[in-house]
Amino acid sequence: MSADAGIAQRSFTHDRHLVGMALFIASESTFFLGIVVAYIVLRDQGMATAKTQLDVGRTAIFSLLLFSSSATMAVASARRDRLWLAATALLGAAFLTGQGLEYARLLRAGIRPGTELFGTAFFTLTGLHGLHVLVGLVLLGALFLAATLRPRRIGPVAWESIGLYWHFVDSVWLVVFTVVYLGTLVG
Amino acid sequence: MTSSLEPIVVLSLLVGVIAALIFVGVIVALVLFAVRYRAGRGGSAQQIYGSQRLEIAWTAAPVIVLAVVFALSVVTLERIGRGATFGSLEPPLHVTVIGHQWWFEFRYPGGAVTANEAHIPIGVPIELELRSADVIHAFWVPELGPKKDMIPGQTNVLRLFTARPGIFGGACSEFCGVEHAWMRIQIVAESHRDFDQWLSSQAAARVAPSGPAADGEQVFLASVCVSCHAIRGTSASAAIGPDLTHVGSRATIAGGVLTNDTAAMRSWLADPQGYKPGSQMPRVSLSDAALDALVTYLEGLK
Amino acid sequence: MTAGVPAVMRRPAFVTAGLLSTVDHKDIGVLYVLLGLVFFVLGGLEALLIRIQLATPGAHILDPETYDQIFTMHGTTMIFLMAIPLLVGIANYMVPLMIGAEDVAFPRLNALSFWLTLFGGLLLYWSFLAGGAPDAGWFAYAPLTEPAHAIGSGIDYYIFGLAVSGAGTIIAAINFAVTILLMRCPGMSVGRMPQFVWMVLITSVLILGAYPMLTSDLVMLLVDRQLGGRFFDPSGGGNATLWQHLFWLFGHPEVYIVILPAFGMISEIVPVFSGKPLFGYAYMAASGVAIGFLSFGVYAHHMFAVGLGDAQNAFFSLTSMLIAVPTGVKVFNWLATMWRGHVRLEVPMLFALGFIATFVIGGLTGVSLAVVPIDLYVEDTQYLVGHFHYVLFGGTVMASFAGLYYWFPKVTGRLLDRQLGLAHFWLTLAGVTLAFLPLHWLGIQGMPRRVWTYPAGLGWEWSNLVSTIGAFVLAAGTIALLANLIRSLRTGESAGDDPWDGFTLEWTTSSPPPAHNFDRPPVVRGRRPLWDRKHPDRMDPA
Repeated sequence: MSADAGIAQRSFTHDRHLVGMALFIASESTFFLGIVVAYIVLRDQGMATAKTQLDVGRTAIFSLLLFSSSATMAVASARRDRLWLAATALLGAAFLTGQGLEYARLLRAGIRPGTELFGTAFFTLTGLHGLHVLVGLVLLGALFLAATLRPRRIGPVAWESIGLYWHFVDSVWLVVFTVVYLGTLVG
Repeated sequence: MTSSLEPIVVLSLLVGVIAALIFVGVIVALVLFAVRYRAGRGGSAQQIYGSQRLEIAWTAAPVIVLAVVFALSVVTLERIGRGATFGSLEPPLHVTVIGHQWWFEFRYPGGAVTANEAHIPIGVPIELELRSADVIHAFWVPELGPKKDMIPGQTNVLRLFTARPGIFGGACSEFCGVEHAWMRIQIVAESHRDFDQWLSSQAAARVAPSGPAADGEQVFLASVCVSCHAIRGTSASAAIGPDLTHVGSRATIAGGVLTNDTAAMRSWLADPQGYKPGSQMPRVSLSDAALDALVTYLEGLK
Repeated sequence: MTAGVPAVMRRPAFVTAGLLSTVDHKDIGVLYVLLGLVFFVLGGLEALLIRIQLATPGAHILDPETYDQIFTMHGTTMIFLMAIPLLVGIANYMVPLMIGAEDVAFPRLNALSFWLTLFGGLLLYWSFLAGGAPDAGWFAYAPLTEPAHAIGSGIDYYIFGLAVSGAGTIIAAINFAVTILLMRCPGMSVGRMPQFVWMVLITSVLILGAYPMLTSDLVMLLVDRQLGGRFFDPSGGGNATLWQHLFWLFGHPEVYIVILPAFGMISEIVPVFSGKPLFGYAYMAASGVAIGFLSFGVYAHHMFAVGLGDAQNAFFSLTSMLIAVPTGVKVFNWLATMWRGHVRLEVPMLFALGFIATFVIGGLTGVSLAVVPIDLYVEDTQYLVGHFHYVLFGGTVMASFAGLYYWFPKVTGRLLDRQLGLAHFWLTLAGVTLAFLPLHWLGIQGMPRRVWTYPAGLGWEWSNLVSTIGAFVLAAGTIALLANLIRSLRTGESAGDDPWDGFTLEWTTSSPPPAHNFDRPPVVRGRRPLWDRKHPDRMDPA
């Protein structure tokens, strides 16, 4: 028995899992804020390398894939539809592949976290984001499995909270892409 | 102004008095209430929930007091901060200070380079340009007032001043590794004439040694000493350790861990790690005779 | 006699399936408090070693490298492994009871948060056996921690130990926040919840905003140390002060994280032992919120000597003075609560009064540090060490002691012995004064902090000796506490449900409470449900 007896369980402000996920996202946002601030503080030092080495166009395309995955996730969550969920995971995986290709290109050009400041800041910021995407893919996979094997146990809250996490991961990329990639166009 | 410490003392006394009054007030109330309202006879206390007037009063009063303190703080900073003249009409003397693990390098205009002990003229604002060769250090001489960090990759400026002669001890004030404790500073404030004399002798190359000291110079040049230490006038010009051109003129050695005399210098050279464990100074294995000659040489470098 | 012993301690063997698998907030609360007490002793032993080395000038009892590890571990232990677990433990046990809930929002995450905290602590202490503990101070300034200057893997253990235990703390914060926001019993609006619960809520928000700043700093340091990165290495283009900015954006809120719950406990204890409601409840809540907000805005007062600029320094000086205002409001309200009360000087109340006295001293020296020219003199000296020990020991630790004596009967069903409690109190008060007051004078005389020894003949000898004696007095007090805890568990006087004539929900259930806390979920109509029940003719206004 708790205070929310009688109050809609699935209301955003009243469900403990959604509030918990929102608070977790708030704390992770602060974590990314710290890394982004570091990147911005050190930006000028590495700008020359960033301008010549980063492929803004190609990364923009992969970014669009990631942003579309937020849309597919929203549909999946609203309809509790596993097909849309799978599409989200696919788009997310495609984004990570794009990141992998970008990393490979930079490593071939001799840029590593240890070779110069741009390498340090770039790989740390995008790498941490990539890790969060990977965790997201795992969550999507788990949700898919659970919805397949135990559909009655998975309520809308599970879809919504995982959806929240996925939207968060996409929002972080919006910031990172702007600061790191679009930043080379103005800096 | 007698020194750059003075405005800080004045402000501290004022803040101290205010703080003491507040503290006494709180303690008196605390003890008074604990004693006067001690539960004894039966019954229960009157249930009082609050008072908006009191809340406003004890919010507003501290704000006013703090506003006054803040204003005084700004005024004090003007008197000792960037560009302060300390009431002197003299142009400032610029000295570059570089922090190392675990010693201070002083570089004066005109080529004088010394370590850990610096002389300054009285009545002249001293502008220190603070840098670091490795980790973060801080420069602080308590009797001259404020401190400032010495940060690698950055130059900080600190102005100090004294109108009276004296010897002022200080210390590194940012933990900088294993021998942070023995990174002490000695400032000698003296008359213009004495200072000018000191400065020109420090700027000069070493006087060529004779007798046992000359043997000592040979020992120095042949040993590992030259890989870290410079003695201007010889071929030794490494800048990893302190400049030793006039080491004999300093009151202390090794960042203040020992007074500078023949016996102490000998002990230091024989076993640096025994006095300043962790310092970068290696143990140099020399014969007794060589060591004696070296000590005579170094002590003679006035 | 097992009745009255906390469930977690009734298991037949020390480490059993029950202990490892419990998800009950009461058990987890006790585990956290035990963890905090163990590390309090370890951190205290480290303190004694420091004080023995500093008792006389030029001592060689500890070599400098060992000394640097000891003072680093002392600070790191006391903040992360003593203060946080003690407060999280007390909050874990008490918050659900005080809001009439059955448990916290996420019981399994609750257990996880404890094990992560413990594991992080073990990882940190493993460093002693694995080549050396971290030795760059609890705030580990770069570039001293960079590979070029740090020898060995101590700093890596610092990074992982804090990251892991920090994750536990973040999880606990999420748990508390959701619990307090969503699981209050019917009738308990936020305006009616106990002050301790208010403070835990604000603290949880602070943790979520501050700890990730530390995590980001630690991750970047790890990249520098293990992947050749250059975040904090100026010779590689990095920025040495970047570490400090991010660290203090964590570090300053952190000290409020460890003091706000302490404030909350005092706000529970003083009213009960004055027989009156807390004076200015709404202002106490609001001042807590104000302190929470401001705590992020004062952070660079740790960096006045860095050379950020006059305007920046002035800003942080102003905010640091401002934060004293809501803090003062709290002190005045506690005093007003005692005014015209029926003051009972039981041991919890004595510790609460001791807290007020010592915290006010620490708070006033804190205001002096907000004055930039004064700070530029006393920063990084023993004066600062004196200041923060007054607010941390006189503040957080004393309040935690008050809370322990207050709630021990609820947890165990037994009272702690009063005589031993009095001895503990007076030894603590005397010890804090002897150990930490002389440090202010030493700082003014020019003694820096974090020095493994100091020169003779500067007049620093007596103050150092007195401080060392004070440290041993504190140790004696701690022994009195431990003896009291152990003895009272077995033979303490039976407490009953409500030994202190309390006001709040935890005293309406049995001591210790049943597994589900309340036989029927309570319904409240005011801030002091038990007072209302006991005094229906003088209930609090609606």
